[in-house]
Amino acid sequence: MKKSRAPKLGIGLLVLGYAFALYWVFTRSTPVVSSRPITIRIAHWQIEKGPPDGIDAIIKRYEELNPRVKVEQVLVPESVYRQWVRSNLTGGTGSDLIEYGVWLDGLTDIPARYFEPITDEMMRPNPYNRGTKLEHVAWVNTFTDGLALQRLNAPDPGQFYAVTLTELSERLFCNRDLLRTITGSDRTPHTFAELRVLFRQVAAYAARTGRPVHAMAGARDNASWLMQFLLQGAMMESSQRNDRYGVLAVYAWDELGLYLDGRWSYRSPEARAGLTLMREVSLSMKPGFVQSTRDAATQEFLRGDAVFIFAGTWDGTSIRSQATFPIDVLRFPQPTKDDPVMGPYFYGRFADGGGGTAMEFYLNKQSPHPKEAIDFMHFMTSVEGNQLFTDHSGWLPSVREVRVPPSIAAYLTPLDCYTFGAEYMTLGSSVNSAVLRNFYLLAGSQGSVDQFVDAMEAEMPEAVRTDLRKEVSNRAIIVRPQDVAIMAKAALSRRAPQDASLLLARERLESSQTQSEALMLQMGRQLERAGPAK
Amino acid sequence: MITGSSCRGGRHFHHGGVFAPYPKRRRWCGAWFCLILLPIASVAAPAPDDTTAAWQLMADHLVRDASIRLDQIKGTPTREQVFAQAVVAVDYQPVTQDRLQQAEATFATLARGDDEIAEAAAYMQARLYQVHFQRPDYGRAAALYRALAERHPESHWAQLGLVKLSLLLLYALPEPAAPAERIAAANALLPRVHEEKLRRDLHLQIGRAGTFYEQPLDSVLPHLIEVNRIGGLVGQAPEDLAIELGELSLRAGHYEQARHYFEAYLRDFVPNLRSVTVRRRLEEIAALEAAKKDRP
Repeated sequence: MKKSRAPKLGIGLLVLGYAFALYWVFTRSTPVVSSRPITIRIAHWQIEKGPPDGIDAIIKRYEELNPRVKVEQVLVPESVYRQWVRSNLTGGTGSDLIEYGVWLDGLTDIPARYFEPITDEMMRPNPYNRGTKLEHVAWVNTFTDGLALQRLNAPDPGQFYAVTLTELSERLFCNRDLLRTITGSDRTPHTFAELRVLFRQVAAYAARTGRPVHAMAGARDNASWLMQFLLQGAMMESSQRNDRYGVLAVYAWDELGLYLDGRWSYRSPEARAGLTLMREVSLSMKPGFVQSTRDAATQEFLRGDAVFIFAGTWDGTSIRSQATFPIDVLRFPQPTKDDPVMGPYFYGRFADGGGGTAMEFYLNKQSPHPKEAIDFMHFMTSVEGNQLFTDHSGWLPSVREVRVPPSIAAYLTPLDCYTFGAEYMTLGSSVNSAVLRNFYLLAGSQGSVDQFVDAMEAEMPEAVRTDLRKEVSNRAIIVRPQDVAIMAKAALSRRAPQDASLLLARERLESSQTQSEALMLQMGRQLERAGPAK
Repeated sequence: MITGSSCRGGRHFHHGGVFAPYPKRRRWCGAWFCLILLPIASVAAPAPDDTTAAWQLMADHLVRDASIRLDQIKGTPTREQVFAQAVVAVDYQPVTQDRLQQAEATFATLARGDDEIAEAAAYMQARLYQVHFQRPDYGRAAALYRALAERHPESHWAQLGLVKLSLLLLYALPEPAAPAERIAAANALLPRVHEEKLRRDLHLQIGRAGTFYEQPLDSVLPHLIEVNRIGGLVGQAPEDLAIELGELSLRAGHYEQARHYFEAYLRDFVPNLRSVTVRRRLEEIAALEAAKKDRP
């Protein structure tokens, strides 16, 4: 009896197992054949609170509109982003759309090697703006800044490479409760002179109560943003003197050459004024802050151990959503013409934002689906797409006609301030590394402006030459393949002479190539004129 | 612009569903379907020939794919196909000096002909010496551009070559050495460049070199004004040019002209932080003009 039942039981179990497997496959598992034949990926490092939700909202709506396409958001921590980008692009596994910033150390060759220009598309309206006020506006002009910053950073001056998602600014976030506890008032400082008074009040309060409270939350990142800001402000007159092209801006590559020509240095009185202010602010941060990163500063502020934190609005959503106290957002109190340090070099209020839109996404040359990737770029920077981003991220929009929610209106920078573009820290990766390496010599009780300046001026001659040589070689990476593209466009144009777009594309490419080559040769001439570093 | 790219990883890899339930059956269905459609498709849209397809791939920066396409060509290659193969070698990664030398020899041979391929080949030969070889030979590049312009003065490639020659004269060749002489040498090329867009680019380079070498602004401005008149620049250049015209006019003391260009800038470009400085410049111009009027 037992013997005859065993095979039946086995078969029964097998059938049951098979039925369960069928049920699982058809009801629970991921569809074996995707209903969306195309997948594109978008990678970025903005994993702080806000942007991932904003991009998710864009993706959700985009997938509703485009049933054939699936979009995956790839979140890469900032600490490994550079390695991630380099290794994936080298290995041919990079995402279709990739966030990139010129300040990313050691990646200056990436745009030239791996990103595709989108100039032709930029000249045409964004199809997703149909039915809006921007329906007939060229894509480039739908951005609040006309992609000014992106154009400045483009590896080729005649080409557009990226779209942006947001506008950034730098603000002082204030713990209103702590400010009231210390000063007895909610009044925030409006000038640097008032800020100095507040620094003294906070120090006195800390000494009196024994509470480890500081006026400014401190970390190397926040301090270096502030230093960049103060140096740019202090150097505005100097930047104008050095603007030989008359473009009311000094580009990083030109600043490097101007340094070699002896047109500016950290020893100049203007630079020293900016550094002196930075040192003053650094003394109101906790000792040893140079060793910590921005997360530590954010924690210090959120614990209620600092009255202010100077941060980019990129940290705004994280700070405001986690704080247990009311936060005021204010513009950094600036020195005035009667300031004892900065007064002699005062030109006007210097820019604390409004310099352009950011969070730049580039098209990977190796993307298997460039058409779909560009289509997604169109959607995320359309009025609808960018509104979704703004509403779900708490970050400012980059596109005109997008409504700014009242909660983040304080992030907007009115057109009441000046910038001449020149960044005296992030000129190139070697210069930037030298600044960060020597920063401890400026900050803290043991530091001084003289120590920092001496150390920098010892390193700058070699660092500047290294960065300028990199600028030349990066442009060569762009210029050389353009000869092939020019010949190809000419050959195609011969075959279809009626197609004016081919001729136009060739003319544009020839023109931008000539501009890039001229810059290469100018830089080469500056290096030659300067000779080797002594 | 970016058409023609192929899915290198294969579609299934990209959406993660590597396993497909009926691959063979589908493949056969697809094959039969394609066979049925083939006669219709060939009438509706003729397939591009291999050379055209290769040029399209090169235009899309798919040089390796272009090379494969050119290798498929059977029989004796035409002059254009030989030229295309040499052009591919210029950007075939990894670029080697040997491959560039071979391309140079091919360009030199083709350049002896008397057709457009000869003109383009002569131009490419010069380009190799200017930017592609590990050690550029600016003198040789300049000589080749000059020879091309002598032989085919109205060819597009000769005209473009003259613009590239101007860069060498302005910055790279040892002689003439003085900045004013360099600029004069580039100026001398202007009457020979007849294509308007290339004339514009030449004017732009002479103007920019003038500011780089800090030459008198009245010698720089006419070139930049001409660039503006011709127009058609893209990217950062048009906005820079618009401001440059206002600012350099102001520095040269041409207040009316400066106002004209600054106002045009405010009208034509999306407001940004440079607009704030431009507005301040307009106030300064008004003050300077008022002071000029008050002067006896």
